[in-house]
Amino acid sequence: METKSIYLQLTDEFNQGRLRTVICSGQAVVLHKLAIMSKDGDWILREDTEAAQHVLNVLSRRSATYRFGAPFDLRWLSGGWSAHFEFAHTFRVRTDFFTRPPRISSNSLGKIWREMEGRNPPFIDPPELAEMKKTNREKDFVVIGEIARLMKDPAEQLLYSRSARDLHSLAMRYPEMLAQLAGQRPLLLQLNDDPDDIARLLDEEKRQLIRVNEQRLEKYAKAGEKWKQEWPTVCKRVEGLSLLEAHHLIVEAAEKYLPFTPTE
Amino acid sequence: MDEIRDEFLSEEDLDLKNMTWEELNAYWTEWLIQAQATNDQDKYTYSHGVFMGMEEPH
Repeated sequence: METKSIYLQLTDEFNQGRLRTVICSGQAVVLHKLAIMSKDGDWILREDTEAAQHVLNVLSRRSATYRFGAPFDLRWLSGGWSAHFEFAHTFRVRTDFFTRPPRISSNSLGKIWREMEGRNPPFIDPPELAEMKKTNREKDFVVIGEIARLMKDPAEQLLYSRSARDLHSLAMRYPEMLAQLAGQRPLLLQLNDDPDDIARLLDEEKRQLIRVNEQRLEKYAKAGEKWKQEWPTVCKRVEGLSLLEAHHLIVEAAEKYLPFTPTE
Repeated sequence: MDEIRDEFLSEEDLDLKNMTWEELNAYWTEWLIQAQATNDQDKYTYSHGVFMGMEEPH
């Protein structure tokens, strides 16, 4: 009997013979043994044609279908778009992909690919996971709080901790780091001895991060408006087709309605 | 007396740390099966990516 989670089975299939995908976000939180909070799987896809074709073939063998999203094509994915699929296993399985995860610099992305080589299963490390979790959702900030406690480096803890008590204790132990890290986290220069005040600073920081992410998503929503209107027609056109056949038609249609990057 | 610390997750969540790899996989799959109960509610929503917060057109 297969005892691996469907998300680990898929990751094995995606990475057969070569590292092409890295588990991130919700399922990476599970693999760090922190919490099980998400039904859907998401992966960082290596931004090359072979990787995309291989993963598409795996999804096709699973009889996956496209959900509304960008085509699984590097021209859109390299513009930060995400592609989404769904298939029936013993239950509904959703798979989400991007090649440019939000808030991860190209240096950090390169580091992820180097460090995940040979790791089985490959799932992102706490600092990058914490960056990806700076979403619009309150529950993700809760998770960041616990992810920060997995970090060994006090500088990383100072950058990601969501606990007023932990931050105060870190600031007492490593005062020299506060100014060094404040460029990345301005809150560090405002820490004082009042836990209520630190909690207020954390709350303000969270609201600011949420606003930044909302603005990022609004840009994509605006750029995707025409594609969204067209999607029901596209869906009818690809109904009953295999994923590979549908993919070609979806790419063809998206070329007319969806810009490769949201700023176009 | 133990020092008070800020808590983010439930004891149930934090117990994942004590699970073996096999136990985690079994519990994870069981959780995913139970979570299907909300499929109708999240039929058109997204958990990840740039379409989060958007409703899938239907």
